[in-house]
Amino acid sequence: MSIELLRTSLSILLQGLVTTLLLSVASIVGGTLIGLLAAVLRSFGPWGTDRIARLYTELFRGTPVLITLMFIYFGVSYFGYAIDVFAAGVIGLSVYQGAYIAEVFRSGIESVAKGQWEVSQILGLSRMQAFAFVVLPQTGRIVLPPLIGQYLSLIKDTSIVSMIGMSELMHGGQAIVDRIGKPVEIYGLVALIYFVVCFPLSQWVRHHDRRRLS
Amino acid sequence: MSYEWLTLWGYVPEFLKAGWLTLQVTLLAFVLAVLLGLLTALASISPVAVFRYIARAYVEVIRNTPVLLQIFIVFFGLPSAGISLDAYWAGVIALGLNVGAYLSEVFRAGIQSVPRGQLEAAGILGLERGQIFTEIVLPQAARAVYPAIVNYLIQLLLGTSLLSAIALPELTGTATVINSRTLLYVQTFAVVLVAYLVLSNVLSWIASQLGARMFHPPLIVRPRARFGGFALRRANRA
Repeated sequence: MSIELLRTSLSILLQGLVTTLLLSVASIVGGTLIGLLAAVLRSFGPWGTDRIARLYTELFRGTPVLITLMFIYFGVSYFGYAIDVFAAGVIGLSVYQGAYIAEVFRSGIESVAKGQWEVSQILGLSRMQAFAFVVLPQTGRIVLPPLIGQYLSLIKDTSIVSMIGMSELMHGGQAIVDRIGKPVEIYGLVALIYFVVCFPLSQWVRHHDRRRLS
Repeated sequence: MSYEWLTLWGYVPEFLKAGWLTLQVTLLAFVLAVLLGLLTALASISPVAVFRYIARAYVEVIRNTPVLLQIFIVFFGLPSAGISLDAYWAGVIALGLNVGAYLSEVFRAGIQSVPRGQLEAAGILGLERGQIFTEIVLPQAARAVYPAIVNYLIQLLLGTSLLSAIALPELTGTATVINSRTLLYVQTFAVVLVAYLVLSNVLSWIASQLGARMFHPPLIVRPRARFGGFALRRANRA
């Protein structure tokens, strides 16, 4: 692999990396909001919303993310509307990862001892207050490692958005290989870039996650 | 509306064939992943430093790169090394390599969850090293890791959808072909979505039944009530 090739490839790939990171951040925000909502609804939701939240997590945890993405991207066009591939990617990844993030939050909520609810009630806090000021602050420390772990898999999952035509890091690598070949060198370079992004996160998770069996 | 579903009815044999292919790749890759995972777990706790480094490098490389990229490297990259694979075996190997790395972490945690005192006690009672592993450690570790392994089996099943990128006609690949022929995107994806739900729930149901029979006392993977008859419960994280 010549220096010239390396330089041009790197500039294409780093451009792709910027898109990958934008996609990741937007989906992390969306997925966390959806996940938190689904977890709260599933634990305390009134009027059957707990069942809807449960149906949501079951549905997305039992189907591939690629199907979710294709459903959104091609499904919208089937009904005669157009959707931007970036928007489809963000919505698809948020909704899909939201289901997993909801499970992370739920296990956090459930890990706070039941006695604390009763104590909060005796102290005169409403259910909302007890959740917001007693339970939620404690779940933060418990859920952070698995939550970061989920973000890590979200970042890796952004590569799948290339399959509906998003030109991010993975797609950049494919485009170069399509033009000049050298799959080992180019995909190796792409792998290296993903590794540099993911390795610090996964090391952090490894050192902070107490649940070794998951 | 109904004629659209009639159109898809003609594709039922193709969907069934695709479902069978998906199941085959899932099970083959899972066998490979379990073997690789066990081997890597043993290497990562071995007294030989080189084995530990190799195991660690393998796990870190796999865990920190996307599975789609790993599939591409196996399918497009290995031919440069003189090894040519068709999409079927490239898929089995890539997914097996991927899940094997995650499973090795689970296995290692399971092996280490057996208290050291038991090993010493077994040694004093005159058991050999191999016996201690197969008779004392393995049965207890298997019980501890079983729910997590089932969870990875389901992840593996869902991961086979990515093999449509290397033109393997499994469920998702077949769906995209049928889409381009019929343009019935929503209906086709609905069929495939249900197919994945059925497959993942059937696999985890079988696994939970196995878990209840294989272990003594029976291992109940998911004790909670079922959800409105919508689907069988899937094995959750341990």
